[in-house]
Amino acid sequence: MRLHDALRWLAADAPVPVFAVAGAGAREAVQRLRLSEELRLVDTPRAGSVLLVAGGIPESLAEPLARVHDALPHPRCTVWWGPESEGIVARFPDSVLVHDDPVGAIVSAHRDLLAGRRRSDPPILPDADPAPWRGVGPYGQGGSGMTGGIPYGRPMAELGPDRDGLRLDVLPVTVGPFFPRFPVGLALDVTLAGDVVVDATVHPNPFVADGSPPLAARPGLAAFVRALAEPVRVAELELARAREHLRWLADALVAHGLPSLGSRVLRLAARVGPGDGASVRDLARTLGWTQVLRWSTAGVGRVAGEDARGIGGPVARAAGAAEDARAEDPAYRALGFAPVLHRGGDAADRWRQRLAEAAQSLDLAARAGDRRAEPRGRVESPRGLLTPESAATTRLLPLLPPLLAGQEWGDAVATLVSLDLDLEEAALVARQVAGAVVG
Amino acid sequence: MGGADPAGAAERVHRGGGVAVTESLLVDALFWLFAVGSVLTGYRVFRTDSMVRAAFYLLASFAGVGGILVLLGAEFLGMVLILMMAGEMLVMAIVMVMYMMNPAGLNPMWMVHQHRVAVAAGVGAFLVLAGLALVADFPDRPNPRPEMATEQLGIELLGDSMLVFQTAGVALLATMIGAVAIASRRGRYGEADEGSQEPPLAPESDARR
Amino acid sequence: MRPDASPLVAALAVGGVLLVGVYLVAVLDRVVGAVVAGAPVRVGGLLAGPVRAAALLLVQRYRGTERFDAPGWALAPALLLGLAAVALGLVPLGPDLVAADPATGFVVFSAAIAFVMIAVFLHGWSPNAVFPLHGAYRYAAQALSFQIPFLLAMLATALPAESLSIVEIVRAQASIWNVVRQPLGLPLYLVVGLAVSFWGPLNLPDGADLAEGTSAEDAGVARLLWQAARAAMLVAVAAMGAAGFLGGWWGPWLPGPVWVLVKSVALLVVLVAAGHLLARIRIERFVVVAWAVLIPLALLNVFIAGAVLL
Repeated sequence: MRLHDALRWLAADAPVPVFAVAGAGAREAVQRLRLSEELRLVDTPRAGSVLLVAGGIPESLAEPLARVHDALPHPRCTVWWGPESEGIVARFPDSVLVHDDPVGAIVSAHRDLLAGRRRSDPPILPDADPAPWRGVGPYGQGGSGMTGGIPYGRPMAELGPDRDGLRLDVLPVTVGPFFPRFPVGLALDVTLAGDVVVDATVHPNPFVADGSPPLAARPGLAAFVRALAEPVRVAELELARAREHLRWLADALVAHGLPSLGSRVLRLAARVGPGDGASVRDLARTLGWTQVLRWSTAGVGRVAGEDARGIGGPVARAAGAAEDARAEDPAYRALGFAPVLHRGGDAADRWRQRLAEAAQSLDLAARAGDRRAEPRGRVESPRGLLTPESAATTRLLPLLPPLLAGQEWGDAVATLVSLDLDLEEAALVARQVAGAVVG
Repeated sequence: MGGADPAGAAERVHRGGGVAVTESLLVDALFWLFAVGSVLTGYRVFRTDSMVRAAFYLLASFAGVGGILVLLGAEFLGMVLILMMAGEMLVMAIVMVMYMMNPAGLNPMWMVHQHRVAVAAGVGAFLVLAGLALVADFPDRPNPRPEMATEQLGIELLGDSMLVFQTAGVALLATMIGAVAIASRRGRYGEADEGSQEPPLAPESDARR
Repeated sequence: MRPDASPLVAALAVGGVLLVGVYLVAVLDRVVGAVVAGAPVRVGGLLAGPVRAAALLLVQRYRGTERFDAPGWALAPALLLGLAAVALGLVPLGPDLVAADPATGFVVFSAAIAFVMIAVFLHGWSPNAVFPLHGAYRYAAQALSFQIPFLLAMLATALPAESLSIVEIVRAQASIWNVVRQPLGLPLYLVVGLAVSFWGPLNLPDGADLAEGTSAEDAGVARLLWQAARAAMLVAVAAMGAAGFLGGWWGPWLPGPVWVLVKSVALLVVLVAAGHLLARIRIERFVVVAWAVLIPLALLNVFIAGAVLL
């Protein structure tokens, strides 16, 4: 008993392992928690002690969220950060609710948990056997024949053509909607043959459907949404763009196994101001120094040629298509703006494209003075052309199935990360379109 | 854990010389551990309900045999047996899973065919061999424990039988290179990661599978 | 730890070194991580960090996944830890300061490395879940590719010694270290050593793209043991590299064991820093490089070592 107390006392000062789910409007705030020394964001719920639910989670994701919750080992608790409103998953019974800074609440809830002042969260879903099977079949192995029927409630794997011309078994699985490398809400039905994606289909965007939270542009994108309807200072837009690109890079680095470099980039993203293009170029040199990142993303997830046309944003420009709404704006033309381009259109080109654009944006922001971009109903958001009818993610999602098929899983993840999808932005546009149709 | 104990045993065997009573007890204990362990895990190969488990039980059984070889002073052979079996059993498990449509080999399945015949054959073979071991008149000329067993083995392999082993070695190397070439990305049917199709059976027909 | 010492003392010594080594890896990893991240380096917090994190894992209770393979899941970290102990037990601290010096030391080491893939596969296969299984398959491909270059790089060090015993391999480096004699050896060994201990750029079975892969379902004590076993494997690889290429106990001024320690820690720093600076390598690229580049280079290394010997 004394040993146990000593362990609890020691554990109370450890950084709290948190599995964070970033709902509507919470992407930047949750990402910032990576820099906190008192918390440690983990990749799998099994590694977490606290489940942090931030922002609005659509009601359709209630069941996956409950499964994530039940996967946390005891002692565990849930911290609910953000709004309570219509169309959002109802708060779990025992969770802590915070509205402002969650770090203090998480740490104190965790201390209470360890000290026994707080009960460990009971499971939400029933712990039931999906399909009883023991004792069925001639040898009790679950069914008839050598391999039985459907033990565990799962049928035998099916054969599928393999890329070497063989027919081997394939494994259908669903990844998401809280897979840490994907944007929250993105779920894929993937058929895997070993390490290779045979086939992928994308689930519908949960933020669009009925019973999803009210959406507003999240802080990092607010300037761009405003720019659709009113004049916004070029310097503000470009600084926001550079920060958004750097925040993307921070996540991408985590996905490529470089979390500490990711934290460095995140610090830079919070710090940069107009005219800091040089520090972004330094960063690009640091990342390019060993060539390993470039080598491991070269040729991955190529979107080029006809595919890249009409997509817009860094994805198109990394493939050499000079699609940029800023080029049509007199304020930008006066600054001598010309889009940065790369040629190959693979994941390596996309991260170099975004770094180059971030540096360019910071330079532009320094020179822009008080110039304002005129509202023309279309604006170049960090992900590409944003209009009241269309967002970059809406145009990118249909590309996914053919793009992912045939890739190894690591490359599929690298591809998805490099496309920088944002289901919230897509849903914001889709709802406006739906609203316009109804109205 | 296959590697752990034989390593210690090998050390003691190597240091040989005046064998203390405790050491010989330890060697005896290890022998029985390996012997009984090998037989038990060998039995489990047929009683388990998963291909992967069966492969690992077989591996454990082989590791036990490797341990006994080490105890017998054939350190090199014993350790090489353990070393080789690790890779082989893993490949066997994966290939079985790939072809058997059993997701990950985790769905339970019945591991034997014609098990009555198999049981009878197994028990019969065991009785015959055990009987031979008991009846046969083995020569009783204990050899001194070789100090340089590995070196002697090397001279044996590369002295008189050098031509045979070198030929076999080159043939195996050629086979390996050939296998890798066939399985490589640029294979017979084109780039492996761009999907591939077998050529049509008849030259003029374009009908594919 | 002298040859006449009892096996119990040797085992305890190896266990102690392993424990200290694991702690050292955890601290090094935190320090390098903080430096790379540009975060403040707080010595007190960094030193206590691993202990606190371990305590937190020890108080966790966990029931496992649906229909998991309990023996396999429990065995995997123990096996990996045991293999690291076997490998470390072969590393001499001095001419007769070694836990075990079998005449076939190199083969024992090879067998331990070969069993690492069994441990990782078992660890990924047992939880009956997608990402762990995926990591297990991946490591099988990785392991079958790295073993030949890894063992060839290590085998070249046995040639000048004309012996498979690790002590003899170190003894043969009295006048000139293998890192000078075989300049290809150490870089090859370190690259493949990262693959063996699945660390940093070659942490493919437990990678971030699989949400921690084979350890995605681990919690509590199982997670702690697996992380410790991984770190122990890294320590064993570094210590064996110091013995095989950096001349083990040889060195001026300082006593032999201190040299072994200094050299092992230097290699550990290199390995850990690589983990924070190099991006994850694609499995396909790694397999191609292993078969098409590393094996020929390692063979070249062996041929050159043999030619020099003749």
